[in-house]
Amino acid sequence: MRRRSIWRLVATLLVFALVAAACGEDTGGDTTTTDGGGDPTTTASPDTTMADMTTTTGAQPVDVCEATVGFMGPITGPVAFIGEVQLNWFNYALDTWNEEMGYDFQMVEGDNQFDTAQSATLAQQFLDDSAMLAAVGPAGSDQVDAAGAVYEAGDPNFTFISPSSTRSGIAAQYTGMFRTVPTDDDQGPTTADFLIAQGAQNVFMVDDQSSYSTGLADSVEENLTAADVTVTRESVSQDVTDFSALVGTIADDTDFVYLPWQVAANGQIFANQMAEQSKEAVIFGSDGMDSEDFTEAGSFIAAFAPDIAFVEGSESLLDGYLEQYESTNTFGPPVYAAARVIFEAIDSVCQTGATPDRASVQAEVANTDQADSILGSPISFTEDGDLAEGRFFIFQIEEDGSKTLVE
Amino acid sequence: MEFFLQQTVNGLTLGSVYALIALGYSMVYGVLKFLNFAHGEVYMFGAFAGYGVLTVLGGPSALIVPVWLAITLMFVAAMAVASGIGVALERFAYRPLRKASRLAPLISAIGASFFLQAAALLLFTANSRSYDAPSLIPIESGLTLGPINVWLVRILVIVTAFVLMILLTWWVKSSRVGKAVRAVSFDTEAAAMMGVDVDRVIVATFLIGSALAGVGGVMVGLVFGRIFHLMGFIAGLKAFTAAVVGGIGSIPGAMLGGLLIGFAEAYTTSYISSTFQNLIVFGLLIVFLLVRPSGFLGRPELAKV
Repeated sequence: MRRRSIWRLVATLLVFALVAAACGEDTGGDTTTTDGGGDPTTTASPDTTMADMTTTTGAQPVDVCEATVGFMGPITGPVAFIGEVQLNWFNYALDTWNEEMGYDFQMVEGDNQFDTAQSATLAQQFLDDSAMLAAVGPAGSDQVDAAGAVYEAGDPNFTFISPSSTRSGIAAQYTGMFRTVPTDDDQGPTTADFLIAQGAQNVFMVDDQSSYSTGLADSVEENLTAADVTVTRESVSQDVTDFSALVGTIADDTDFVYLPWQVAANGQIFANQMAEQSKEAVIFGSDGMDSEDFTEAGSFIAAFAPDIAFVEGSESLLDGYLEQYESTNTFGPPVYAAARVIFEAIDSVCQTGATPDRASVQAEVANTDQADSILGSPISFTEDGDLAEGRFFIFQIEEDGSKTLVE
Repeated sequence: MEFFLQQTVNGLTLGSVYALIALGYSMVYGVLKFLNFAHGEVYMFGAFAGYGVLTVLGGPSALIVPVWLAITLMFVAAMAVASGIGVALERFAYRPLRKASRLAPLISAIGASFFLQAAALLLFTANSRSYDAPSLIPIESGLTLGPINVWLVRILVIVTAFVLMILLTWWVKSSRVGKAVRAVSFDTEAAAMMGVDVDRVIVATFLIGSALAGVGGVMVGLVFGRIFHLMGFIAGLKAFTAAVVGGIGSIPGAMLGGLLIGFAEAYTTSYISSTFQNLIVFGLLIVFLLVRPSGFLGRPELAKV
């Protein structure tokens, strides 16, 4: 009996050890930004960094400036790796803002699970919360559509800034929508022009069956075929991890494989399986592949933001973030930028002595004119709510996994 | 020919994994006549157990033990963890409902599936993990079959799957517990009256079926690389399809079905389009359920009239 108890204890300890080990290291969602961010022990000074980043913040805190801001993102569900990082960056933005300004802004968190129905429900909850002035999110364009329709019908003055929806034209549909990332109208032609400039004649393209991916693939395909580049288009769900049969269909004369995917780890599997079958085409990944999970040397990556570790003035912000949170990826910094836009808009209203409401906050957001931001570029919006000076960056991955800006 | 051969190897690898998972579905159905929809999640936990061992041993690029030992330990851990979860499911989610209507354990299985997914999300977060098998066994290593080179990991996966399937067949046919499993599968009441400990047989069925799923999880991690908390869902559905196509309740049927689904996926992608991959696979499921519900090797249900 006693021996059995000992065995049970040993087995339990072993299981705990295994779980701890499996939890210990993860590769998903991390990016190269953690590598080049300077001394990780350096403490960020929010006062200094915020002053560097912004131009519209009022200097004197106002005691009565109170606000609740929402965050909606896929905290759980199939792309929870995006939502987790976005939530972390939102919390980081809120904490540093409150500390810097002496305010006590509150947040309400909504997990839409990357689901449209859930997004609509949360949007209604946000609208019904009279204290809530604006929100960051949702992440995906389909979810933006679902939430946007509710906001538009319920209160067009409610402002929501998407930190990662890139579908072209969507911001024009909703009065209150803004975004801190460029659109597929920028990414598609940028990608196609780059491939053409590289001398691409045959491009193999695989979308991941999401609206993000198919829209982007359509745009790149259209631009490539207009330049007489031969495009072979395929489609595969990101729930699968075996692409070997698909890789087998890549013709030997293919120059580039274009993967507009949101799961970078799948891109690495694709690259491994290409190597396994001696396929020599070069992979070009969209912004969703800009992650530490994809490190295939020689490949190219498009990103809607530069690696903020190398953005002057953003290194200390990144260090401060990494002191509190384990990892980051491309989807994080635009959330910080979006949150700052909202916070500063609220503060601007407060500075006039007025009590901020949804309409006044929206007017201030529309007038945003940040000369610099965490993304290393100015932030202001077009009449539709798109980022006025958004552009995509193209990096090449080096042998050691680092990235070199090539365009 | 090179193209066909390459795609055949691809299909065989994928089919081997499906076959291992399908065996668990089939064994449980054979004994209890219900579908354990949480089986895909058992496979997922097996994959994470293997990853845990890999991490403890220093990770793929800094192993502190020889590769063969690391892989063996990963398989052992995956089998142990998956078996433990399988047996726990049987004890707490299914046994209390054994005398309830057939719908009750099915709903319980779906609930258990979501519970395990959520548990994995909490334990491992939503971030995917990579076995990074090319660091363990270089992609260039392997066997040259005519014009193509087959990666050693693929060979390992295919051979391991076939060895385990042969061992399982032997175990069911020749061992004392295996014979009891067949007896319970054929007629539970009669087996009990003949002195077979039905509870023990059912536990053994879950234990073996889950262990095979655990092995499948490590195989997927090794050959395809990425593991994540939702990986069991689609794999589970494909394995279920394999079990139905082969003949649910039949062990050789599960193997055959797994391989057929693997080949169907590979050849659909090769000769039609990857877009139609799932359409073809799940189309097969519908066709078999309508036309031949007992599958290729299943036993048709007989009802006394």
